[in-house]
Amino acid sequence: MTMDLRRLLESALPAGVEWAALRRVRSVERSYAAKDGAFESAALYEDEGFMIEVLSGGQFGYAGLAAAGPAAMAAAAARALELARSASGRSIHRFGTEVRPATALSYETPRGRRAAPGADLLAGGAVALSRAMRVSDKIVQASAEISTRDLETEYVSTSGAAICQRTHIVCYGCAAVAREGSTIQKRTLNGPRGRTRQGGYELLDFPRIEAEAARAAEQAIELLGARDCPSMRADLVLAPDQMMLQIHESIGHPLELDRILGDERNYAGSTFVRLEDIGSLRYGSELMNVSFDPTVAGEAASYGADDIGAPARKELVIKDGILVRALGSLESQARSGKAGVANQRAEGWHRSPIDRMANLNVEPGKDALPDIIASVERGVWMEANRSWSIDDYRNKFQFGCEYGKLIEDGELTRTVRNPNYRGVSSSFWRSLYKVGDASTFQVFGTPNCGKGEPNQVITTGHASPVCAFRGVEIFGGEQ
Amino acid sequence: MSAMRDLEETFKGACAALFDELSGGEELSVGFSGESSDFLRFNRGKVRQIGHVDGASLRFKYYRGGRSLASGFEATGEAEADRRKAAMALEAARREAALLPPDPYQVLPKAAASSREEFPGRLPDPGRLPQEILGPGQALEAAGAEFVGIHAQGPICRGAATSAGARHWFAAESFIADYSAYLPNGKALKSCYAGREWDGGEYARRLASEASRLEALGRPERAVPPGEYRAYIAPEALAEFIDFFSWYGLSERQIREGESAFISLKEGRTSLSPRFDLVQDFSLGVEPRFNESGEVAPERLRLIAGGKLASTLVSARSERQYGLPANAAPEEEFLRSAAIGAGELDEDRALEALGTGLYLSNLHYLNWSDVDSARVTGMTRFACFWVEGGRIVSPIKDLRFDDSLYRVFGDRLEALTARRSLVVNPSTYEERALGGSLLPGILLSGLTFTL
Repeated sequence: MTMDLRRLLESALPAGVEWAALRRVRSVERSYAAKDGAFESAALYEDEGFMIEVLSGGQFGYAGLAAAGPAAMAAAAARALELARSASGRSIHRFGTEVRPATALSYETPRGRRAAPGADLLAGGAVALSRAMRVSDKIVQASAEISTRDLETEYVSTSGAAICQRTHIVCYGCAAVAREGSTIQKRTLNGPRGRTRQGGYELLDFPRIEAEAARAAEQAIELLGARDCPSMRADLVLAPDQMMLQIHESIGHPLELDRILGDERNYAGSTFVRLEDIGSLRYGSELMNVSFDPTVAGEAASYGADDIGAPARKELVIKDGILVRALGSLESQARSGKAGVANQRAEGWHRSPIDRMANLNVEPGKDALPDIIASVERGVWMEANRSWSIDDYRNKFQFGCEYGKLIEDGELTRTVRNPNYRGVSSSFWRSLYKVGDASTFQVFGTPNCGKGEPNQVITTGHASPVCAFRGVEIFGGEQ
Repeated sequence: MSAMRDLEETFKGACAALFDELSGGEELSVGFSGESSDFLRFNRGKVRQIGHVDGASLRFKYYRGGRSLASGFEATGEAEADRRKAAMALEAARREAALLPPDPYQVLPKAAASSREEFPGRLPDPGRLPQEILGPGQALEAAGAEFVGIHAQGPICRGAATSAGARHWFAAESFIADYSAYLPNGKALKSCYAGREWDGGEYARRLASEASRLEALGRPERAVPPGEYRAYIAPEALAEFIDFFSWYGLSERQIREGESAFISLKEGRTSLSPRFDLVQDFSLGVEPRFNESGEVAPERLRLIAGGKLASTLVSARSERQYGLPANAAPEEEFLRSAAIGAGELDEDRALEALGTGLYLSNLHYLNWSDVDSARVTGMTRFACFWVEGGRIVSPIKDLRFDDSLYRVFGDRLEALTARRSLVVNPSTYEERALGGSLLPGILLSGLTFTL
């Protein structure tokens, strides 16, 4: 512990508090952006604050503050206690300390290169990436951004929890916008922020990324001359960078137990999944296996314990297509009587933790990529998300991708632009008929999943093999 | 008032600490966001989470020798701690900026004006929030609905200061009860009560009147097949479209960089309906006119007039880069305080004017489906109805729409209501938001539904 948090907590507490905890969160974020081969902007933000939480009569109350002085901390504790007490008799559930385990552990992101390169190197790297995308006069914008976030969370409770976690996130993205006449196309590296990982600076392998960025720009040019994706009901093969979004929106959010319990109905929405579905609902085909796994080294949302002290562990949530477990924290588990996972997480010191995805992954299957393509008589390969929308029950979705290729008689043929598809979650996953093997498996993440009241964004990770679906409604751009 | 005063002192103290530390050749612009907020989150008429957050976020831009760096820290309100944080942040900015390439379009802070606006309010006693907010919800529960939502209250402050001398302060004590009422059939209505002067009686009356609106939602649901239908979009639903004038929207930079749905509007290849006017209008009084660099926007900026592009949002950086006059847009060139011009349709006769079609009270999860053609997709949500002969028939099963803004605000725009509603921004991402939009309801001769 870098501060004596326990002493700070104990000195702040009013007499008679039955349980309390203090969470300290400090983050340092750096970003470097370049455009069209020139430096654009850089930022360095530090943020540090505390959340004190007290339990009174089965109700938690919280107070978030940046000040570390004893007077401010004592006032915050008193405010949290007052608010918890004010809810007496009106709590949705009478919680106890069993939902705040006395876990003691430390966690740190494994890193190859720990020492940060200087701002000159990182800014220069962004400039070089944007320059690498200037492959044609038709590129009207080539942008690159590199960002890092070092997050330190410490947590102590009066019942003995003592947790220290340090995560290090590296995110980079490149985007090339090409224009010819009135046609404009954009290509990125796996979607706007798909390359969000935990790790060290070994993730910034600039020569490799420059080559990938140039390839993305060439594909943007290629898309200018491509035909629009045809409208048809056909087979759909999704690359892992689009599976990330498909998993997030139509598996992750529907399975959040707080949504099932109705907490999110006023904001992000509910879910088509009911409590009684857990253990029996056929969510997808028998090929579908999905894990909640915050223990994957390098994936964006890995940790040792969630923000209430529940130790992280891998859990299968969908097994052979059957929903076996929801994404519910200890609090949601206590309210519902259902098994869950360690996922009560907060955006920062100023927000109270809620049920979240962490790393949610589709497990690899047995099919090699050539066999998947060969299985398609007429269909479309799609990669890199560019549009996403789904209803508040997480059923009717419409997703768009940057790049598509027709598959005809088992072979990838013409490139198509503006590929989109729509469907209904509960039937879409049942049409899953091929799951790629480990050689097709890729890890991605996103730093900006929004949810909760008050609103919060959080990092999630999603890994998947290539997957194929039968009979999907596919369509193109301007209709 | 004391929390508002404390936040202003925090802002002033942190600014003073930063400016006092500046050396020759260095310049700064400072933006500030502060709040002292109580949050009550509820579900089924019961308390789900309750708490309080004090936040005071300082964001500054550091300039020296042609180099720039954005930086910031969270102020504590403890004078000595904040002086220490300011000095450390400035020191780190100096080190980092010295290593950066020159900023090719650097704009040094020029703004030197000052302003001060403060709007004290009257808020419920934080120690009685559960009774005050949830008690009147019993009217909805008595009508068979579950009461779900969030109440947030307390002062929200914004500040800006520059080394050129600008000093701006905007503070308001406000509340928002943002709630919905869910029937057992999954249908729901949504509303909010927001303002600066809390009136418990008014709040209770609103909830009681919502209860009477639940009857229509209890009727059997109608599954409307995909197709094109006449539609009335209420102001709260129309508010979901406002972001699309910022995101790939009316930013001069985005238009120049090929990332706007309004390029064809700018190039005169398309136009919107002559009925359609869009203005950035700070006379709404819901957010300050100054931006993060202390620049003050005109009170009214016409963006689209009679369906044609009248102006884009131009930041000082774009002015430098493209040689256009700036209009004090923030560096990200997003739209603030939007107002869509009123029409002549009597809101009380909207159903009659709709005739047969869809009444859309709320929309959900909108996204571009094709930026080039300004096509947007999204879902119906909450109290949306099938209407026949000007009368509500039944709530609908959720529908997905996918249509172009050039149709919605173009050839399909049949009428706009004469009365407009101020739809406040309920966002609490990072901090409680300010702002809102003044919007009419709109009647469309057709909207395309796809799923």
